[in-house]
Amino acid sequence: MKLLLSRAIAVLVLSILLVTGLVVFGINYVNKASTWAQYPVNAHLYRDGLLKVSGKIYDRKGNILFQIQDGKKKFSTNKSVRTSLMHATGDLYGNVSTGAQVAFRGRLSGWNIINGAYRFNLKNNTQGHDLKLTLDSDLCVTAYNALNGRKGTVGVYNYKTGEIICMVSSPSFDPENPPDVSKDSEKYSGVYLNRLLSAVYTPGSVFKLITAEAAIDNIANITDAVYHCEGEIEINGVMVTCPSKHGDVTLEKALAHSCNVAFGQIALELGGKTLQKYAEKAGFNKELKIDGIDIAKGTAEISDAEGGDLAWAGIGQYTLTANPLKMMAYAGAIANGGIGVQPRLIYKDDNSLIPNLSLNKRVLNEDTAQTLGKMMRNAVITSYGEDNYKGLNLCAKSGTAEVGEDKRPHSWFVGYMEREDYPLAFVVVVENGGSGSKVAGQVASTVIKKAVSN
Amino acid sequence: MKVISEFAQVFLERFQNVADKITEYISIFFINFEKFDYIYTHVVRIILPVLAATIFLRCIFPLLRNWKQNTALAYLHMPDGTKTPIRHWENSIGRSKLSDIVINLSFVSRTHAVITYRNGGWLISDLGSKGGVKVNNQVVEKSMPVNDGDTISIAGYDMILDLSGFSQNFDESNLSDEAKMPLYKKKILRTGLTFMLILLFQCLGGIQILASAGDELNKAVPLTLIMFIVVEYTCFVVFKSLGKRFMELELLTLFLCGLNLLILSSASPDSLYKQLGAIVAGIIAYFVLTLILSNLDLARKVKYLLVAGALGLLVLNLVLGETRFGAKNWINLGFITIQPMEFVKIAFVIAGTATLDKLLTTRNITYFIGFSGACIGVLVLIRDFGTAVVFFGAFLVIAFMRSGDWRTIALITAGAALGAITVISFIPYVASRFKAWGHVWEYADTSGFQQTRTMIYAASGGLFGVGGGNGYLKYIAAADTDLVFGVISEEWGILIAVMVFLIIVFYGIYAVFLTKGCRSSFYAIAACGAASMFLIQTALNVFGSVDILPLTGVTLPFVSNGGSSMMASWSLLAFIKSADHRIRPEKVDAHKRKGVRG
Repeated sequence: MKLLLSRAIAVLVLSILLVTGLVVFGINYVNKASTWAQYPVNAHLYRDGLLKVSGKIYDRKGNILFQIQDGKKKFSTNKSVRTSLMHATGDLYGNVSTGAQVAFRGRLSGWNIINGAYRFNLKNNTQGHDLKLTLDSDLCVTAYNALNGRKGTVGVYNYKTGEIICMVSSPSFDPENPPDVSKDSEKYSGVYLNRLLSAVYTPGSVFKLITAEAAIDNIANITDAVYHCEGEIEINGVMVTCPSKHGDVTLEKALAHSCNVAFGQIALELGGKTLQKYAEKAGFNKELKIDGIDIAKGTAEISDAEGGDLAWAGIGQYTLTANPLKMMAYAGAIANGGIGVQPRLIYKDDNSLIPNLSLNKRVLNEDTAQTLGKMMRNAVITSYGEDNYKGLNLCAKSGTAEVGEDKRPHSWFVGYMEREDYPLAFVVVVENGGSGSKVAGQVASTVIKKAVSN
Repeated sequence: MKVISEFAQVFLERFQNVADKITEYISIFFINFEKFDYIYTHVVRIILPVLAATIFLRCIFPLLRNWKQNTALAYLHMPDGTKTPIRHWENSIGRSKLSDIVINLSFVSRTHAVITYRNGGWLISDLGSKGGVKVNNQVVEKSMPVNDGDTISIAGYDMILDLSGFSQNFDESNLSDEAKMPLYKKKILRTGLTFMLILLFQCLGGIQILASAGDELNKAVPLTLIMFIVVEYTCFVVFKSLGKRFMELELLTLFLCGLNLLILSSASPDSLYKQLGAIVAGIIAYFVLTLILSNLDLARKVKYLLVAGALGLLVLNLVLGETRFGAKNWINLGFITIQPMEFVKIAFVIAGTATLDKLLTTRNITYFIGFSGACIGVLVLIRDFGTAVVFFGAFLVIAFMRSGDWRTIALITAGAALGAITVISFIPYVASRFKAWGHVWEYADTSGFQQTRTMIYAASGGLFGVGGGNGYLKYIAAADTDLVFGVISEEWGILIAVMVFLIIVFYGIYAVFLTKGCRSSFYAIAACGAASMFLIQTALNVFGSVDILPLTGVTLPFVSNGGSSMMASWSLLAFIKSADHRIRPEKVDAHKRKGVRG
């Protein structure tokens, strides 16, 4: 029978193939079961495409932002809260793919890999799958009102804990009374896009922070170096211009006055490859997920840029695009001694017995972060007007990003507060808003003041 | 110190949190106490997987234990003074390392002769060797009986057959394990307890179905389950009274059948009576086949009867076949509809068998290839491609066991693959299945409908299921046959679904284990053929429903709804069981002697 035993291996091989298949299925199951179960025809979780039972969504103070009552979606009772947080919660029909209703529907539905869709007492028990966001709805309302109907976005987060406390995107609408978006396509263009998470803009001068970081790391004696600005400079036949003649400027002064001529020269000194490396370190081209939501990557393709192109890249123009949240996180990393704390939207319920480690990552050298921080502080004092931000201990950089001949530039303002009690970093973008420090800076001022008054 | 105290503080805070949650949970539990079914499901869904795992482990350990134990039936005294045991009913003698009795001398052929036990005596057969075989100096033309003390000369190499001390009556029915008992006594797991656990599983599962159905209960459900338990109990008692002590294989199968009825109770209670009838018929068929197979000569005669019957069924299917779900694989006998191809499986497995002497002399398997070709051809004609794959896979396994010629097998496989590709590209019904394969989510509501639903609802069950009767997959067409893996996952949990899968994989491994101690290659081939059918069906059914393989619509043995499939599966099981000859009477004698002394 030895002979037959040796041939019976065929059956053993078959058995092993089956077990292998089972393992493949197991891996699929672990990775994809959540997606499978969330398919909206799943009668355990959905009725007519709507979650049968959904956990409530709360803001950080415990105000209800969203719930399903008697098979109907209900948002906050306050209209301005509903409108300001429409992108955070999502609308009635799930058009906002980054909204909590869609992005966190696995959690809201109560599904998990151990118990599946099973719920003890199906009807009454939503406990365990409620969702608390890190957002402060009052601050969001303030931010939305400060944008005053202009398109753009405001984000504020705690650079020590990573909690995003403010996230608004304009245009928005009241999700309980949705307008006919197609009728006024100009007013509602990109209304389902959460601009903080999913949009990219030309960064303009806020990118100078990254150029400055690269310069501090790579150019010897950069703090003592002096650049001369005649208001314009010609590089290989390409003109780089400044709004005014800045004369002899140090790096610090160049950042404060956003001197294009100086930064253009610095970019040339650094070279495209170095600048590319620092842009990627700051999050350009990189995948980022916050609580599972994909953040727009932003693009930096400057490693081969030369001459005038490279100079324009160094001042945040050329082909660069930046995502607002990533710029905010970059400012947060500067504030936090170079260590970036991953932003997040879901309030930690501290249920696990073992305190967990957050996803911290070094973004800048500690010394570089400190130097850069001082320069940003200087920019506020000497350039943006400390009076506008009294007592906030603000460090910031403005940006006025050119977006074409006939359009007004996008207005950026990125920075943070150097305060132990309010370790907050922020970003403001006002589309076609004009001057960065004036327009976006004004919005930032209103929002930050509200944040510290709480 | 500061760090520690801080950590302790955080820990205490969180512990407090957890404690609060638990208190809250318990209070919710008691608030719901009036709802019996909620509470019941909540507890039982955890108990059932634990029970299933216990049953599975209790059954597989005894079956795999002692598999090396295979003691001698007789001895051969070699010229160098050593004794070589004869361990099987059929033993090859030759130079090849794969011979049962290896004689490593250059003038001995690779496979020189076979010594077999037939009708109470031993027989030596020459396999056309160069050196020839002699018994007491008489040349063996083809074969010749040998007795105690006879000298067997293999090309001049003399061996003396020693039968002294061996009871030469090995023909006892395989249904009785009485003789095998003593060996197991020390570490035996009580079969009775395992059986009780199975009944407990079925009762708890049955109550779950009743609780979830509430007022909409179909009367067939409790009735069938009670009758099934009576059937199981009768079966157990009958087997026991026949001296059968090792029923692990049967118990595992009864466990699967119980699950089958629980699934039908939820998915299609109207077919419960029919299915129970099929189980009973299956058990009877199993019983009869085991009885027939325990007599090798009878089994070899029945083989031709079965093959003739199968050919009849093939013709019948072609003539009377009715089309359902795209395949013309049903025939209506007036009072009952059957799938004849399921029964052909039984003949197919036995058709490929051969005893070792035949296997080593006639390498020609043309008849078997012809019969296989007829079966697979009919299956293609009636468009039952899933079953065709099952037959083809079993054919490969059996043909390999018969010939050991992997080159020819590879050639046949390549040819078949080519044919299959042709079929796939020319028949739109099959082509559409293949189009969706691998990316069913792109065809989620058309040709990937069944697979996506299976995955959606399998994922909804989690580890422990939503409770029997609470599922939704059962409302999808063919849920209780093609998608049954999904139904188990959803209602009873992925743990139990995986256990079902592993039980069937275990049938395969068990068949391989048995091969070493098999009396005859006849049984070894039949067992491996039957096991490979189970394995291929399971792969096609389970992997087809979750889009790892194309969905072909074959049944999961013992678990899918379907009477013909149930009966055929029980019959195939008889082939596996019949190959279990691991314990030899010699040890029993030793024990008896001990018993006398003690």
